[in-house]
Amino acid sequence: MKKTFINFFVLLLITAVHTDCFGQKLITKTGSIKFQASMPSYEEVAAENKSVSAVLEQSTGDFAALVLIKGFRFKVALMEEHFNENYMESEKFSKATFKGKIEDFNVSEITNTAKNFTLKGDLTVHGKTKAVSVIVKVSKTASGVNAVGSFEVKPEDFDIEIPSVVSKKIADKIKIAYNFTLSK
Amino acid sequence: MKKFLIPLCLFFAVAAHSQDDLLKSIDSSQVEESYSTATFKALQLVTLQTTKMPAKKEFYFVVSHRFGTVKDGLDSFFGLDNATTKLGGIYGVTDWLSVSLSRHTLNKMYETGAKYRMARQDAHFPVDIVGYSVADINTFLEEDQYPGLESKHRMTYVQQLLISRKISQKLSLELVPSFIHKNLYNPELENDNQFSFGGGGRYKITKRLSVNLEYMHNFDNPGFYENPLSVGLDVETGGHVFQLIFTNSQSMSESGYLTNASGEWNKGDFFFGFNLYRVF
Repeated sequence: MKKTFINFFVLLLITAVHTDCFGQKLITKTGSIKFQASMPSYEEVAAENKSVSAVLEQSTGDFAALVLIKGFRFKVALMEEHFNENYMESEKFSKATFKGKIEDFNVSEITNTAKNFTLKGDLTVHGKTKAVSVIVKVSKTASGVNAVGSFEVKPEDFDIEIPSVVSKKIADKIKIAYNFTLSK
Repeated sequence: MKKFLIPLCLFFAVAAHSQDDLLKSIDSSQVEESYSTATFKALQLVTLQTTKMPAKKEFYFVVSHRFGTVKDGLDSFFGLDNATTKLGGIYGVTDWLSVSLSRHTLNKMYETGAKYRMARQDAHFPVDIVGYSVADINTFLEEDQYPGLESKHRMTYVQQLLISRKISQKLSLELVPSFIHKNLYNPELENDNQFSFGGGGRYKITKRLSVNLEYMHNFDNPGFYENPLSVGLDVETGGHVFQLIFTNSQSMSESGYLTNASGEWNKGDFFFGFNLYRVF
């Protein structure tokens, strides 16, 4: 009985230590994600979300980000409504997430000049998950690091249906730019 | 056995902690915006207003037609020869207030309106509540016909409460209590003050297509006029909503629609029309 209790206590301690003390987490709740899906000579199809959450585990390079679809702001309110209602179906799929790892991440190598790393992981949008590998530029800030980059996705990879009547007005490849200023 | 179990548990505890936990750690930190959106596709259900509001500084240009009665068949090409038109604009002053002005062929009517949101459906409140106040100005009346006509006689007022609930992704319902006051009326056919109550709903067949139905019962209707019953189809064509409608009330002004319906569905006497919106 006593032994079980001690074992349990040790387990608890290790778990606690592992999640809290070893962790060198850098966090933001005000990261930005912009996407650009415009076609030349048609109405602009672009939006920005300025309240993206992201977290980086400095010791391992593990990285995760989460964005609420309803938080994307368009210039045209009706476009925003249709984006949520018909394209992203944000009441069903309220979030887009990323979880992965910045490969060969070593916090001591980070300086004021941005250094390129490869960020690999799973991007989940509209309920569909796809493995992605993108370049991320990481630089040092006063209280943490800044991670920026951009990449392209195709709507069909995430089962986002573009009706044929508007297919000319929406780019096949959508450019996504992100900017996270992570701090302790 | 127990000795074996604990290291195993430990192993899983450590392995599970990583990217998943990292994601979970930020998941709880966000508060979701909880208002129901896209309860209706358009500002109108068929002819009645919906609880949808234009966004701040958004301008809607609206063109609607109601053709003549379908009953006359080929003589008037199912009513298409006798088109009536509504041309108008709606401007979002703020997110909760919009103002509108329109001109109608029928009775050379001008209609001014204000729509204001009082409550929104969310996790804590079950319905959207919007007020709609309308003044209709009839410029068809001639002093030759009505000696003693004063400008106040041209006015008709409507006050409505629009109460809607998005029941599911596909189904939304709306109740519309309405009070109508006419400064000029024919006492043999109707009253100066009328109360009308009814409503309607929409059901989405596909993501971009919905069927709408609305009915209003006039409680001060001595029987000369019918109660309006209308059915419509919303077609969303990549940003713009096009509404095809069939109704027994040809008028597009709020007071005319509610109180002066002349068609009878069971006699094949109804009107075809459409509403078209362009957003700026």
